[in-house]
Amino acid sequence: MKMHKYILPGLLAVAMIVPVSCNKAFLKEELTTSRNTDYFKTNEGLDQLVVGLYSYLRYYHCSEAGYSFLNYGTDEYSVGADNSNGMWNDYNASLTPTGGVVNSNTVNAGSFWDYMYTGINTANTMIARIEDGTYTGANANVNAGVAYFIRGLHYYNLLTQFGGVPIKTEPSTSVSFEFERASKAEVFDLIESDFTAAFNKLPDTASKIGEITKSAAAHFLAKAYLWRASEQNDDWNNSTKAADLDKVITNAEYVIARHKLADNFVDLWDYTKPDGPNELLPEVVLAAQFTGPTTATWNVGGALYFYTCSQYRDLPGMFRDVPGGREYNRLRTTTYSIYQYDLVNDSRVWKTFRTKMTMNNVKGAASLGYTAGKDLGLMYLFNQPGDDRFEGVRHNDAMKNNINELDHNSKVGTTFVFFPKGTVREDAPMDKVANNDGRKYFPMNTKYVDGSRESIADSHCFRDGIIARSVEDYFFKAEAQLRKGDYAGATATLNVVRDRAAWKAGEDREEHRDGGQSWDGTTGAQAPGVSSYCNRSSYYESNNLALGSLNAQASSLHLNGPINVVANLPAEDQWIVKKLGVSGDKDVALCFLLNEKSREMSLELVRWVDLARTKTLVSRVKAFNEDAAGNIQDRHLLRPIPQQFLNVLQKDGRALTADEKQAMQNPGY
Amino acid sequence: MKSNFSLSRKALMAFTAVVALILAGPAAFAQGLSKGKVLDSKGEAIVGASVYVPGTTTGVVTDVDGNFELRVAPGTTLEVSCIGYITKRVNAAANMTVTLEDDSLLLEEAVAVGYGTMKKSDVTGAMVSVGSEELTERPTNNVFEALQGRAAGVDIRSNDRPGEVGAVYIRGQRSLTASSTPLYVVDGIPMMSGSIENLNPQDIESIEVLKDASATAIYGSRGANGVVLVTTKKGTKGEMHISYAGSFTYETIKDKCTWMTAGEYIDWRRTAYYNLDPKNYPSPSAPTQDNDYKIFNGGGDPYAWRNIMKGWAGGTWNGNNVETTDWMGLILKPSITHEHTISASGGSDKFQAYMSLGYLSNEGTIHGQDYQRFTAKSSNDFQPYKWLSLGASINATYSIQNYGLSGTGNFQGGSQSSAYGVATQGYPYAVPFDDEGNRIEFPGGDDRVKNVYGEWDLQKDLRKTFRAVGSFYTQLNFGEMWAPLKGLSFRVNFGPDFRFFDQGVYVSKKSFNRAGSNYALNNKRMDISWTLDELLYYNREFGKHSVGVTLLHSADSYDRRTMNMDAENLPIEEALWNNMGSVSALRSYGTGLTQKQMESYMARINYSYDNRYMITASVRRDGASQLAEGHKWATFPSVALGWRIDQEPWMQSAQWINQLKLRAGWGITGNAAVDPYSTKGAIVSLFYPYGSNVTEGYTLYDAMHSNRDARNLAMANESLTWEKTMQYNVGVDFNFFNGRIAGVIDGYKSYTSDLLMNQSLPAILGYTRTLSNIGKTENIGVDITLNLVPVRTQDWEWTIDINAAWTKNKITELTSGEDDLNNNWFIGYSIGSVYGYQSAGIWQTSQQAEMDKFNANGNHFEAGMAHPVDQNGDYKIDANYDRVILGCTMPRWTFGFNTSLSYKNWTLDVQLYGRFKFLSGSDAPWVGGRYNVRKYDYWTETNTGAKYTKPIFSEAGADQYYQTVDNWMDRSYLKIRNISLGYNFPKAMLRNTGVSAARIYVQARNLGSIFNGSEVRDMDTGNTYYNRGFTFGVNVTF
Repeated sequence: MKMHKYILPGLLAVAMIVPVSCNKAFLKEELTTSRNTDYFKTNEGLDQLVVGLYSYLRYYHCSEAGYSFLNYGTDEYSVGADNSNGMWNDYNASLTPTGGVVNSNTVNAGSFWDYMYTGINTANTMIARIEDGTYTGANANVNAGVAYFIRGLHYYNLLTQFGGVPIKTEPSTSVSFEFERASKAEVFDLIESDFTAAFNKLPDTASKIGEITKSAAAHFLAKAYLWRASEQNDDWNNSTKAADLDKVITNAEYVIARHKLADNFVDLWDYTKPDGPNELLPEVVLAAQFTGPTTATWNVGGALYFYTCSQYRDLPGMFRDVPGGREYNRLRTTTYSIYQYDLVNDSRVWKTFRTKMTMNNVKGAASLGYTAGKDLGLMYLFNQPGDDRFEGVRHNDAMKNNINELDHNSKVGTTFVFFPKGTVREDAPMDKVANNDGRKYFPMNTKYVDGSRESIADSHCFRDGIIARSVEDYFFKAEAQLRKGDYAGATATLNVVRDRAAWKAGEDREEHRDGGQSWDGTTGAQAPGVSSYCNRSSYYESNNLALGSLNAQASSLHLNGPINVVANLPAEDQWIVKKLGVSGDKDVALCFLLNEKSREMSLELVRWVDLARTKTLVSRVKAFNEDAAGNIQDRHLLRPIPQQFLNVLQKDGRALTADEKQAMQNPGY
Repeated sequence: MKSNFSLSRKALMAFTAVVALILAGPAAFAQGLSKGKVLDSKGEAIVGASVYVPGTTTGVVTDVDGNFELRVAPGTTLEVSCIGYITKRVNAAANMTVTLEDDSLLLEEAVAVGYGTMKKSDVTGAMVSVGSEELTERPTNNVFEALQGRAAGVDIRSNDRPGEVGAVYIRGQRSLTASSTPLYVVDGIPMMSGSIENLNPQDIESIEVLKDASATAIYGSRGANGVVLVTTKKGTKGEMHISYAGSFTYETIKDKCTWMTAGEYIDWRRTAYYNLDPKNYPSPSAPTQDNDYKIFNGGGDPYAWRNIMKGWAGGTWNGNNVETTDWMGLILKPSITHEHTISASGGSDKFQAYMSLGYLSNEGTIHGQDYQRFTAKSSNDFQPYKWLSLGASINATYSIQNYGLSGTGNFQGGSQSSAYGVATQGYPYAVPFDDEGNRIEFPGGDDRVKNVYGEWDLQKDLRKTFRAVGSFYTQLNFGEMWAPLKGLSFRVNFGPDFRFFDQGVYVSKKSFNRAGSNYALNNKRMDISWTLDELLYYNREFGKHSVGVTLLHSADSYDRRTMNMDAENLPIEEALWNNMGSVSALRSYGTGLTQKQMESYMARINYSYDNRYMITASVRRDGASQLAEGHKWATFPSVALGWRIDQEPWMQSAQWINQLKLRAGWGITGNAAVDPYSTKGAIVSLFYPYGSNVTEGYTLYDAMHSNRDARNLAMANESLTWEKTMQYNVGVDFNFFNGRIAGVIDGYKSYTSDLLMNQSLPAILGYTRTLSNIGKTENIGVDITLNLVPVRTQDWEWTIDINAAWTKNKITELTSGEDDLNNNWFIGYSIGSVYGYQSAGIWQTSQQAEMDKFNANGNHFEAGMAHPVDQNGDYKIDANYDRVILGCTMPRWTFGFNTSLSYKNWTLDVQLYGRFKFLSGSDAPWVGGRYNVRKYDYWTETNTGAKYTKPIFSEAGADQYYQTVDNWMDRSYLKIRNISLGYNFPKAMLRNTGVSAARIYVQARNLGSIFNGSEVRDMDTGNTYYNRGFTFGVNVTF
């Protein structure tokens, strides 16, 4: 009885105190669920950092910034129904250092700027760890080569968009706020040295699909030298120009020798499945890699498909499906884009743009008297001015007379005619109709179409995004040649490209193939096999020719005289030369080359820089991009320096004054 | 407070009665019979008062009506006593009435002060206490709603969505990016895995809010945002009580906006098109059918077009003939909320228990939103020996929330997170169903405007939470073991906190937020945290000296595990998110682990001399795992003084002063609300395919990553440390004329340094931000609580409780030495400052020459568009030169007003709540014309005096400054929170029913505003709409 009076409290006291004593390790924080920056001090970590560097290649094809900075606001494309990033096309009052925010999809100058610099810091980390000997593994050269390539590419993008930018080549471990813009020449020197280092360290041939090789470095060296030799830099490139043009040719030829062109232009876009044959063609020098469902979960897919997708779901007998795509409606094909082609003899226009879609809404089509899977829901007619067959642009089943497809025993729900009766080319009535009709109907570019997507709503596409293909090296070479005055040489170089673009004998000129064919036949369909994908073009309807009448013949686009002479140019180019008021050998030849490049590389994310560096942006936009024509000015050859960057900068430990910020800004912003 | 006391007083009285009966019973023997009644000063019967013959065991206890019978000789001295009243001696008589006066000193409740309790009169810090009666006076969904408007300096925002809680600020905001959430402590256990939204308000005995640093510093690193101490109910000694409280609430949504009719919308959209391109579109005064076909996408939806054509019946336009669809009406429903709590309480000398079961069901006023909560509370306290006490208290909650439209799984861009928002966009001229009664997916044919009807079946977001919070203690009282150790005790508290959260989302392919495929998501999260406190107390009085010492060693641990997966194209719709294995590959999946620990030491001394002079001093030392090595530990001291002037001898003559106390305090508190691993330099894991060979890699930062955390990565800061706040507080507590005028006034000033902020970085560093300790802020404020009783008579009582707080803060220093424009931080200005364009109204046609000057510089202005002020007069609106600081979004004043008028058993209460002097953004509706907006006064060539700019049709923004109009205005408001009428059944009526107390009441909720700074938004919820309703409730005790 008396015992417990002491024993119990004693035991309790001990029991209460003992378990509580803490040890030193209690407050130690351990991050076990993910790696930290220390990992990049190991061979294993740096070998994995290379994979991270590769991932930066995907930015252009999966972000709004890709097309906004590289393709918007040119002669090729204008704004569709979705204006999320319209300021980058329209050069309107929203195009400011802060950027007018339309919605959460809007990208401002800082989006592009920040992304480039984060890649640069990653590349700097790799380069520093290899140079200071931290890395002792077997891949020192390849890893450094990739890092130099990415850093060079990112500085090249910054230079071509913003002009001279601050340079940082060391990895960041602590904060700093004082940066000055380097000159264009200084940034260029870094790019040249980075691509050269990359060339020296990278392998000649890829040991795995998508690997960056010497050819990719050579391609970008050529591109960079050509940039410096262009009109935009005429105030400082005098002493380097001649040598640069020679280097352009040397590097372009290096690539051309190793990457032969595909036999047929359509082979490049003949996508049947992820990582299929079209993505492995030797013409592809470097492509951002996307693959089937497994990776889709780890990064956004190539959304460029949607950005260029035009409206079809609201048309009679149609609904949105997998091969049709999601109508993000950002990039509207301009009339210029279509009518710069020889619509009869140039196969590329029919292989690039979608002119027919099959009716796919089974119930809806039936209620209107159509047959889904057989009748067409939509057709674009690329007819010629003076064609008196049609009244009005839009031929809607419900409103106007129906237009039937030639000899396929199919009816057509809705037809858009580019040149109705009584219009001339200058009218570009389709551009006007697009303005009035919600901008949503236009023939879409199909270079990125992906029917292998997992669902109608899925925003992940599995097609690779081409960063460099060797056909562009022909353009580099031809441009260097014409800038050196070798017009015959330039013509010969471009003829290689044009010869491929012509129809081959026996080729079905009505056949259209794009990534829509990779659809599995059921996903998202109302009935098996019924989708909006149509493997025909409106070639014969548009050209008002009998079906199949030209299939047996080859066509020719071969130029027989040098391109500095207007009379030697195809009619379309002559019209453009006249419209732009271009004269003089070099400018006429360059005008032709830029047209030819658009015909070949429409929507391949090279147009804005090409036009800006050649200082043809303003005149071409004024002539062919109706939305931007009234706004564009010379200052738009450079983008505004992002305000959010200027805001945090310091000088002597204090923030910049408004005047100092303005001084650091590009002129006119 | 008085209400708080009343419950324990009843219990004590009952207990006393029982004990007295036991003691007195056998000793009673026949003498003359004295009959009597014991009343309080208001004439109410006192139950359980003891009536004794002093020095003997002769005595009885009064019954429920205050009656007693005692056999004593007439004229014998009787001592009548009861806890809470001044003991009185009277002479026995045959028939007598004894009135006992309140003992104001004893009336005082003990209040929780953190690691212990104190008599309220001894408290030296600034605090406010809210008792259970006030918390449960009106039915509320959670404790926060109950607390709103009850405590000066505690600002609580409202959230109408069932199961959601609003934000809480104590004495305003002082931190820029670290959390401003106060620390919640439930029965001594700091909450780490959530706040107190899970508690049933009926289970709460009292809430004490510690406001100033001298009071919160004992919670050291977590005290900077204030501390909310919650004491839940415990068992009381005495007879068993069973109580039931229930209420039914009927609510509907009220919208402060009027919405356009179909005819008005058509007119507005025509105007928008006309303003876009007057050449192609006719003036809205001369519409044509052809143009309407284009403007209203006639081919897109034949049913909508047919409705528009009704306006054209007869060939000329008459907008009144177009039928208007009330899209909001389709999603709204009246809601019934009912809650029930049944509780039991009782105990003996050695064991007391309390338990309750509660159920709340809120049906929600929008289809698809509802909330159910089951609560259970059990509390057991044991005192097996005088030297030992043990106890356990467990609060368990299981809640089921149908969140409604959440935007999860959204693929549309421009996510819609509220069904109401979706409904407001619906075209009033479009119809929801086709002729066969099928739902039209895109009424009006715009692929961004989906039919909201049935959305609640197409999108489920079911959130289930189970939470159990325990508080266990063992206390050894050494003084009871060995007399010299009197006052010394040792206590161990252990508080486990378990929270399990399961979210299942299923979005049908027809939902607003999807296009073509279904989607399912399952998130699970488990938080397990615990706190272990060892406490050594020494409390002893030596004559007039009273000393209290508290020593603490404490350890906290927090562990969160997450698991998530989502998928698309699920083959079995009915399986919802419950069969993710049915798809070949998940869209994403992951697991996560977050851990943090804290260790603390604390010492506190309370000393008081003669109940007149009090001093409290404490020091706490905290170490937190999430801070950088070498910066983990910090010390938080405090000291506070109190002077009870009313106890001074020279004040004794001032009878009207019941209480007058001056307080002054100083302390330092911290805020370590930094996410764990912030100092670690996390890197990003990703995958890149070489062809189809998917390879794992890492990078430093990836703004394009599909994982949000990777996109938001900040540069690691290896020297991250505590954010510290030093605060001075002076206060006065007063009570004059027996509580007729009482109140508390506190003034404070605080200085916060080493502010944790997301500092913007130049992207050249590879990161755009880093978390760092930069900058300082200052807060100054006054909290005022006033309790007035203008009328108090036998039958009538009128009370007025006012609590008001004024606060002002400013940023005094940023490390960069300069304003941070990217974050809107300006030195010398408040947190929450607004930096933007001032409005000069709307451009008028007469100002064309002026507009031309701007247009020449790259602006685009037309008559009818917004006219921002050109601050530097350079005829160019630009971000560098034309933006100015417009004001602040944090309210300067918060105000609660409660008044109660009672007559006999009837009570009428009115509660008002308001915030004053704060800016809130533009009420200008979207002027792009694509979506429906509220009816508003827009500029046209004939209505040039309009309040808002002209609409210009645009998918995006044609007038980028339209929001400068009616922007950042003072949106002060004073809202009538509720009016209620209650009736307490008189005890006489309840006799023989087995019911000891009963109350019924009716209430009207959110009747409206006395004034509101916005014409179209309820500034409490921030939305255009709010819930309004009526409640019927009943409280019964058996």
